[in-house]
Amino acid sequence: MIATTNFKYEPSEHELEKAANSYVMSLVAIMGGFPLPIINLIATLIFYLGNLRGTYFVRWHCMQALLSQFFLLPFNSFGFWWTVSIIFTPETITSKYIAYILTIFIFNLVEFIGTIYTAIETRKGKHIEWWVIGGLTNLICKDK
Amino acid sequence: MKKILLELVLTVAIIAAVWFGLSQVDWMKLLNVEQTTQHTEEKIGDLFWKMLKNSESEITSDSVVSPVDSMLTRICSANSIERTKIKLHLLRKDEINAFALPNNHLVVYSELITSCENEAELYGVISHELAHMEKNHVMNKLVKEVGLSVLISMSSGNGNAEMMKEALKHLSSSAYDRKLETEADLTAVEFLEKAEINPEPFANFLYRLADKTKNLPSQIYWISSHPESKERAERIIEQIKGKSFPKAELKDSLRFEVLKERVKEK
Repeated sequence: MIATTNFKYEPSEHELEKAANSYVMSLVAIMGGFPLPIINLIATLIFYLGNLRGTYFVRWHCMQALLSQFFLLPFNSFGFWWTVSIIFTPETITSKYIAYILTIFIFNLVEFIGTIYTAIETRKGKHIEWWVIGGLTNLICKDK
Repeated sequence: MKKILLELVLTVAIIAAVWFGLSQVDWMKLLNVEQTTQHTEEKIGDLFWKMLKNSESEITSDSVVSPVDSMLTRICSANSIERTKIKLHLLRKDEINAFALPNNHLVVYSELITSCENEAELYGVISHELAHMEKNHVMNKLVKEVGLSVLISMSSGNGNAEMMKEALKHLSSSAYDRKLETEADLTAVEFLEKAEINPEPFANFLYRLADKTKNLPSQIYWISSHPESKERAERIIEQIKGKSFPKAELKDSLRFEVLKERVKEK
């Protein structure tokens, strides 16, 4: 799921702090924004936009944090609107619904733990690339 | 790029597999969700009926209850609905009203019976309320308007009398939303068709009482609580267009007139 690789250059102490903060940002949003899935995405997006002129290392990690939010968004949104429909329409709770909520809870938890781990490791100067998201980030985020 | 796509597909497949795997567990049973809901519904329904029974006068005469009961039985058996789960109650009241309470209590007011011009109209109203029960509209409406937590506290005996009265008022004299009313109408038409009863008189009943509402708004609860009655009547007519039904027999009309007379007797 997570791989430690070497970045193109040795990032400075200042860069490490900023890059680690991009993950911390999405964690704060998870705590404050749950269960509205869009809040996490907006918070990470704002942080990314704020660091558009940052160094490659900072931009790369902001982008990885942002994409990780994008990845879970459709799954969380589906669960959110399913819940809303149960509360406000004749739709009722089923085993399928409970199974879905448990599934997205498990994957959100995995993402949550992964984010904490990445934030800590990035702060230590290690370059962490996530499964799927890391590859996508390499495609999107290029060195200027 | 190929590697990323492969990883993406694999991840989505893992999520789907976890969901599928977890779906195999009967969570409703495991977490007692159904039992809690069923238990709440039973308690609330019985409490509401007890409140009504204490404040209104119930018709218990077999000569009145029995014919209405057999009408209900006819619709139930034609539609494979378990008859024994439905508790029919007739109340003497000068309001044109009939409504369903939780736990399958069906309440019909005497004025509604006497306002029907023929048996098929009453069949229509009964089928409509039966449809609300079968489609689980009653509890959904209560949960939506009163809230599940309030309902559970009521069922455990912690609800106050005012709150109970308010909730009961919601069920007896306010409409379900348009989508649910339409669903109940169309289901009622299906019930009637299967029982070989012409749904047209039901549409006529809606149409006739919608006109009357202008003069007697407070008396015609069933119609005032069911808005857009004319549109509903038209939808029913549209639904049965081109279909033929057996004509009502004279003995049925006579039997219904006798029933009306008996209801009128105090």
